[in-house]
Amino acid sequence: MFPEFDDICCRYTFACGDDWTVTSGLEEGVTQTSKKSSDGRQIFVLNFPLDITFKSTNPYGWPQLVVHAYGSDVFGKEIVRGYGVTHVPITPGRHVQKLAMFVPESSSRFQKFLSWFVSRRPEYTDPTRVASGEGREVTRVRSQGYVTVTFNVVTKDMKKMGYDSTPSDVTNALPGSQTSAASPDS
Amino acid sequence: MAELHLIGQIVGASEFPDSSLFCKFGIHTGGAWKVLGGLREGQTQVDNPEIGDTAYWSHPIDIHFATKGLQGWPKIYFQVWHQDTFGRNELYGYGHCHVPTSPGMHKIDCVTWRPSGNLQEQIMQNFVGGGPQLKSADLIYSGADRFHLKTTAMGKVHMHLGVILRNFDKYGVEC
Repeated sequence: MFPEFDDICCRYTFACGDDWTVTSGLEEGVTQTSKKSSDGRQIFVLNFPLDITFKSTNPYGWPQLVVHAYGSDVFGKEIVRGYGVTHVPITPGRHVQKLAMFVPESSSRFQKFLSWFVSRRPEYTDPTRVASGEGREVTRVRSQGYVTVTFNVVTKDMKKMGYDSTPSDVTNALPGSQTSAASPDS
Repeated sequence: MAELHLIGQIVGASEFPDSSLFCKFGIHTGGAWKVLGGLREGQTQVDNPEIGDTAYWSHPIDIHFATKGLQGWPKIYFQVWHQDTFGRNELYGYGHCHVPTSPGMHKIDCVTWRPSGNLQEQIMQNFVGGGPQLKSADLIYSGADRFHLKTTAMGKVHMHLGVILRNFDKYGVEC
């Protein structure tokens, strides 16, 4: 949902720690460009499938989904409309997440005008920056939309390696460390 | 040693008088706890939201603890600050909450407070801004010496936290 814009196209990337590898599925992708629905809902439907399997020896560096949205401005140039990030849920099951989408702001009013004029807004050189906690104190952002993502998570061999990700009274025989997420989103 | 992974996000904050906010946070643990990986402290971005009154920080948290005892279970503490259009920072609230002891995903809303000071300070704050602040951050998460303080309620900080425990059951700890 982006109330201020008419067309949106999303890209996604998974960011994960050093111990993690992708065993199957696509780590990156681009959705179609969607126009805002003309009814009262004012939403963009992307309905884009994600399907990926990760493998690791250690939960540290758990994968994060980074979504970055683009749209065209009045001059027809492609402009970034938001960055959003969330961790892949750690528990097996279906999870619906609403990601806030924010863009970095220009540091001064003059730069803001200049960047509007030449259609080059501030953006991150590497979108996966938003998945790291370092160096954030220097950025000023404006959040201007949401992206909804549905995760269906399956874990494997977590229990066998001694990891508990569900409370003990509901811990059951889900045999033991792989995470996979699959979801159509909007 | 038993291990604890804390994986999640400081989502944002709402219900503050102004919504151009950022937050400094840290995780306090007892002496038996060691950080094996990840950042124990941090500062979020400043968000000035276009829609609604919730400031979104989407600040990732991924910390790996090892411990020999349960005493001093990790606590997350916050200082929420407001940044105005001139870039001046003003304290908006302090808050803390315990990391949940049960593994799984948790949605946590943490309430915050701010020292209100005496009448003169309150009037001053109304006209010139600023206001009293804590000298040491310990008071945010400790129960001692709180009785000196007069405080007022501020907004909420929202978090999504995932907790993964390892080998706690081996030592007979039921979480």
